[in-house]
Amino acid sequence: MTAGNSDITPDEVRERIRVARVAIPEDRLALIHGLLRDALKPIRQMDTREARTLEPAPTFDAAAPQNRHGRR
Amino acid sequence: MAAADLCDLGIAELGRRYRGRELSPVDVTTAHLARIERLDKTLNSYVTVTAEQALAGARAAEAAIRSGTAGPLAGIPIAYKDLYATRGVLTTGGSALLADWIPDHDATCVTRLAHAGMVMLGKLITHEFAFGIQFPGHRFLPARNPWNLDHMPGGSSSGSGAALAAGLTVGALGSDTGGSIRGPAAFCGIVGLKPTYGRVSRAGVLTLSWTLDHTGPMARSVEDCALMLQALAGYDAADPASSREPVPDYAAGLAGGVRGLRIGVPRDYFFHDVKPEVAEAFESAMQTLRGLGADVREVTIPSIWSSPALLVIMLTEAFAYHARDLRERPQLYGEVLREKLMAGALFTAEEYIQAQRLRARLCEDVNQVLGEVDLLATPTMTATAPSFATVFDPNFPFARSNMAPFNMTGQPTLALPCGFAPNGLPVSLQLSGRPFDEATVLRAGHAYEQATEWHTRRPSL
Repeated sequence: MTAGNSDITPDEVRERIRVARVAIPEDRLALIHGLLRDALKPIRQMDTREARTLEPAPTFDAAAPQNRHGRR
Repeated sequence: MAAADLCDLGIAELGRRYRGRELSPVDVTTAHLARIERLDKTLNSYVTVTAEQALAGARAAEAAIRSGTAGPLAGIPIAYKDLYATRGVLTTGGSALLADWIPDHDATCVTRLAHAGMVMLGKLITHEFAFGIQFPGHRFLPARNPWNLDHMPGGSSSGSGAALAAGLTVGALGSDTGGSIRGPAAFCGIVGLKPTYGRVSRAGVLTLSWTLDHTGPMARSVEDCALMLQALAGYDAADPASSREPVPDYAAGLAGGVRGLRIGVPRDYFFHDVKPEVAEAFESAMQTLRGLGADVREVTIPSIWSSPALLVIMLTEAFAYHARDLRERPQLYGEVLREKLMAGALFTAEEYIQAQRLRARLCEDVNQVLGEVDLLATPTMTATAPSFATVFDPNFPFARSNMAPFNMTGQPTLALPCGFAPNGLPVSLQLSGRPFDEATVLRAGHAYEQATEWHTRRPSL
């Protein structure tokens, strides 16, 4: 499930850094927090049930103007 | 003809003059090498100049032209973003990690342009691994913008944009994951085409993000981009995403004009925070296209604000690509780039999948709009090139991008000059079409170019 409509917090970013065991210094936290906040905003606003028919596989088929997913 | 004038000619014009025996590929190549020697100490657009190889190639092209066996782009100087593998020639990716890498193979694009007769001048600096600008102290210097040396040329195809604007090559190749062809084209006042995903091979080009990476041509005119695309496009078994879609004659349709063409302007998202001078140049461009007979109308893309999900996809895939080196040799990455790449480890699997689902919805919405109009038009960038003083702040944020949506959807998208701001820096128009319909995108861009003079302006160097 996606979380809803709230932005990711700096504390959540700190927790993710800890879990992922990557070395990101505290003085870069604002940069990384901004990056994750912007990147995740549309996902946190997404209603995953509403989008359930969409497969995560974009395809590009010029012969099919509607370019339905799943067609190659 | 003066050496400086030789460096101002485009692919189409050089081809005509070579065939008419008015100019020699050796003279043109020599003039470019001399100009690189004179100007690139300041511009830093080249990592490697392959002077001897270039002159040998120019002599071979000259002989082929004389004997009537020349390829379509014979004797035309080209330089490659340093992400493209070049056999026997240093290929750095703009990174200390690959500072000594000499590939034993050519990227497919390099092979194809060589077969067409192009003459390689050298390799052009890229932002580190197509993602991180070189901060002071980096192994490689960042390229500078020929229109104002205190400003960046955009990236990641930074050297490609700078070298073209400065007349240090006639054609260049870039790569585009979130705007890396179109951004430098916009900031440097030149033309860049991100073809449809699958149209041009990525084999032999260093990866940033598999599902978003595109390769494509950069030049000083739309016609020149069309001529290069002709040689580049087509199926390549070495690229799993390559398409078998037939390749049309791009140059043949260029002169068709825009009369009756329906051009949609999506205001939402693309005009958020646009600087007044950019908005003014864009509106003027729409007036020009209307004057040429295009039907310019407003359109809405309902899911356009899902575009920043590109960052989830790009960062996650980039982390996957770099994971081992980030763990084993982190000190060889630029500091800020390293931290941005590591941010790719902070997303969950669910978030990556949801980002791809949002991408699928965006594709559907854009395809629906492209049932109502033939093209979309937007400003390429919301502002002119920022100064180095601005971007050298390690906490300089990622700007919302007008280019990223079309990496998500994979559509063919062109950036071309449409004006200059009061600060003297170029402003750019972005035209995006249906998948594999590069021909219409190029036709509209060419028509606009023929009606304006922005693409003919050159920086004082």
